[in-house]
Amino acid sequence: MFAYMVRRLLILIPLLFVICFLVYLGMFLTPGDPVSYMIGPEAMQNLKPAELEALKEALGLNQPFIIRFLLWLGGVMKGDFGYSLQSGVPIKNIVLARLPATLELSGVALLLSTVFGSLLGTVSALKRGSIGDNALTVAGMIGVSIPQFVFGLAAIVVFTLKLHWLPVGGRIEPDDVTFWDRFPNLVMPSLVLAATMVAGVMRYSRSSMLDSMNREFIKTARSKGLPEWRVNFVHGFRVALLPVIVLIGFRLPMLLGGSVIVEQVFQWPGIGNEFVAAVRSYNYPLIMMIAFFSVFAVLIASFLIDLLTAWLDPRVKFE
Amino acid sequence: MENAKGRTTRLDRQFDRLRDMEEAGTYVKARGGRVLGRILANKLSLFGFVAAGVILLASMFAPLITRYDPMAIDLRHIEAPPSAVHILGTDKVGRDVFSRILYGGRISILVGLGSSLGSALIGIGIGAYTGYRGGWLDGLLLRISEIVMSFPQIILVLMLVAIAGQSLMNLMLIFTLTGWGGIYRMIRGQMLSLREEEYVTAMRAFGMNTLSICYKHILPNALGPIMVNITLSTAMFILQEAGLSFLGLGVPASIPTWGNILNAAQDLRILTTLWWMWIPVSTVISVFVLAINFIGDGLRDSTDPTQQG
Amino acid sequence: MAENQTVLSVRDLRVFFYTNNRCNKAVNGVSFTVQKGKTLCIVGESGCGKSVTASAIMQLLPRLSRIESGEIVYHAPGGDIRIDRLERTGKPMRSLRGAELAMIFQDPMTALNPVYTIGMQIGENLMYHTDLSRREIGKRTVDSLKEMHIPLPEQRVKEYPHQFSGGMRQRAMIAMAMSCNPKVLIADEPTTALDVTVQAQIFSLMEELKAQHHAAVILITHDMGVVTELADDVVVMYMGNIVEGGTVDDVLRTPAHPYTKALLASIPMLGRGRKQEIEPIRGMTPDPYDRPKGCQFMPRCDHADGQCGSMPKETQIGPVHRVMCWHPLEARRG
Repeated sequence: MFAYMVRRLLILIPLLFVICFLVYLGMFLTPGDPVSYMIGPEAMQNLKPAELEALKEALGLNQPFIIRFLLWLGGVMKGDFGYSLQSGVPIKNIVLARLPATLELSGVALLLSTVFGSLLGTVSALKRGSIGDNALTVAGMIGVSIPQFVFGLAAIVVFTLKLHWLPVGGRIEPDDVTFWDRFPNLVMPSLVLAATMVAGVMRYSRSSMLDSMNREFIKTARSKGLPEWRVNFVHGFRVALLPVIVLIGFRLPMLLGGSVIVEQVFQWPGIGNEFVAAVRSYNYPLIMMIAFFSVFAVLIASFLIDLLTAWLDPRVKFE
Repeated sequence: MENAKGRTTRLDRQFDRLRDMEEAGTYVKARGGRVLGRILANKLSLFGFVAAGVILLASMFAPLITRYDPMAIDLRHIEAPPSAVHILGTDKVGRDVFSRILYGGRISILVGLGSSLGSALIGIGIGAYTGYRGGWLDGLLLRISEIVMSFPQIILVLMLVAIAGQSLMNLMLIFTLTGWGGIYRMIRGQMLSLREEEYVTAMRAFGMNTLSICYKHILPNALGPIMVNITLSTAMFILQEAGLSFLGLGVPASIPTWGNILNAAQDLRILTTLWWMWIPVSTVISVFVLAINFIGDGLRDSTDPTQQG
Repeated sequence: MAENQTVLSVRDLRVFFYTNNRCNKAVNGVSFTVQKGKTLCIVGESGCGKSVTASAIMQLLPRLSRIESGEIVYHAPGGDIRIDRLERTGKPMRSLRGAELAMIFQDPMTALNPVYTIGMQIGENLMYHTDLSRREIGKRTVDSLKEMHIPLPEQRVKEYPHQFSGGMRQRAMIAMAMSCNPKVLIADEPTTALDVTVQAQIFSLMEELKAQHHAAVILITHDMGVVTELADDVVVMYMGNIVEGGTVDDVLRTPAHPYTKALLASIPMLGRGRKQEIEPIRGMTPDPYDRPKGCQFMPRCDHADGQCGSMPKETQIGPVHRVMCWHPLEARRG
């Protein structure tokens, strides 16, 4: 198991390196003066042309591209991500401030969609052909056809504006309040974000469950006189789970992408929201760094899911 | 014949019927199992074809259906509710909503279908060739596709929009360049298994050249999944365009698309009181995408012989 | 040795399959008995209905099929039980399965759950059919592996199926089946997926178990060699019917049905020498949906005549030797 972990990590490193390179290349190619990425706007204003030249020399901006890339990479690893074009705030601060919100939202959505999706899909498979099964299938398809933001808007109209049950948006910091105090703000965004994932997970776990229940070991389990619930869940579902988790790993980028829109609709102060603002104001350093972080997050999450899969599958565990 | 267990369920009665039919020689020669599932799928695909067809045709023949110019501003009739004059009312600057939906459909469907076909072209072009040949090129392109697919697509798209600027062509180009990963992987997978088939070895022995084997002979076998993929990608791209335009970062606001129309819905006032400005569009998008999903599913059912019920 | 005691009786069993909206009479009137401590071999080609019969006895038939008519009677120590009248997943049947009636399958790699240890899968059986404590179950599990001559059982118990070799996996499955001391063991082609050398080991193991546990064994196979090795009694099935049945001597030395004779002539037998004649049976097994009228073997039989257009009746040609044919070979010879 340990060897497996190390191997997966080793594959990750060159991948990250390439992505860093692409990100830096992107920044290099975008319009704008690179000095402005590296020092705050106030400092920029006070510079005279000669000082600007000296600064450029000092910052190594006249060096060849590769050297600059390596310098930048070194800075990134030390935590220096440059400055936001708009506000001059160090990007690191922005990211750190916004990250928890997005993680909270995506995490809850991931949990909800995994649990509900796999359970509904399993039930669908066990009652194959019934009205419930067909209804769930159609409901799932409707779920993936309605644009996420429409879901969000409709939810706001119904639950906030008409029923006044839930707040219209925003997030409460977890400082001094309990989870339940923050819950009303979390409910709608996470459910909307989960909705698109649920349909996919449900469909896939249904077919995975059908596959699993068709296998020989199910007949063996029945031949031991085990009760049906045990055959279905301890044997059938447990084996059906594996491919579903692998699929969820593939769908992680979708989750993060969805949060970009959902955060906008619900004014959730996360990275997605920040990203859209950055795009609107052509804040290139921020755009590139957030993009980089999103990939980084996806790769880490995929790695964790790989570990989970390996742990669940004895055939991999004991390679 | 009495049931051995002495009791009858609905399933038992169905069985009895089948048995009697068999003995009388009047059985139905069905082509495959899952009778109920198949009928359902067919009905849904039928609905899909009809619904998508109606919307598509309405968009294409928009000038014949509505006399309003989707971009004509009429400041005397802003925010008018549906009436005999404007079937679906007007928007913030007096443009006829119904006409905007019809004309908007053209662009939205164009973006969806065009990007889908474009990325299919790239994905198939690369995937078929490198999947067949293998080697370092295949490995390299696989890594590239992995990297591209690790980005959440919307983030990648927005990043490129910020760099390249907003325009219809740019958007379609960006969609194409970022969306080829899925179909590339699929075609490559198909190629990896199909190239081991005997007829390929035979063709190689006869000295046929690679391109010909690859594109003319093996590829048609994968036609089914390709069609399914193109259909479902179209749905995905339409949704993406809607999302981006809703944010104001997709197709420029001067060109009406379904997403652009929804841009107005960011205003809470419009959400609650001026329902005709966003609910009809949302419904049209959802119905169209749903219809396409049904079509894709139907295609998948009819081209994949191994699928379970 | 155990006295002649019937443990299972099957009378006129019919099992019909209802897939593809058709009715397939997979088993169409099958009767036999199984004696305690003896091995009954059910022989036949693929599709003749032998596996279906086994599944019917265990009430493990797939969803789109049912026991149409007939009786399956398990002669339990406490009284007779009509298996055909029991619910597939009901408690009475489930308490029989695994405890009194056990089954082992053809391919142990697919028949065992890959994500659970062997110990857990054997222990499950004990958990649901006995009142033993966790510790006792653990000990019994290790003992059952020991009984199957699996080395280092304490360690093996914690391992997963993919870590076992093919033969060992099959032993593990047998251990699982025998764990509750069943009265009837049904083995569905247990060695088809194994090497020939391993086959021999498994068979000697089964003989050993039969002797020690006095279990009745129903062995399903298409391999005549297996029959000669292990069978006490034999029934030969073709297209859903038993065409011939009797002791192994009866059927193999003096086959009465043309199909049995043809089957014996179509396979090489160890010991008959290099110049033995092998003749494939002419024709093909008919499509189950498009059966011949009357005797199912008629289109491929060299001794058929007009009478064979109607279904033959079963005739006794010996104390236990029966055949379903209008022109049984023995009669012609005599």
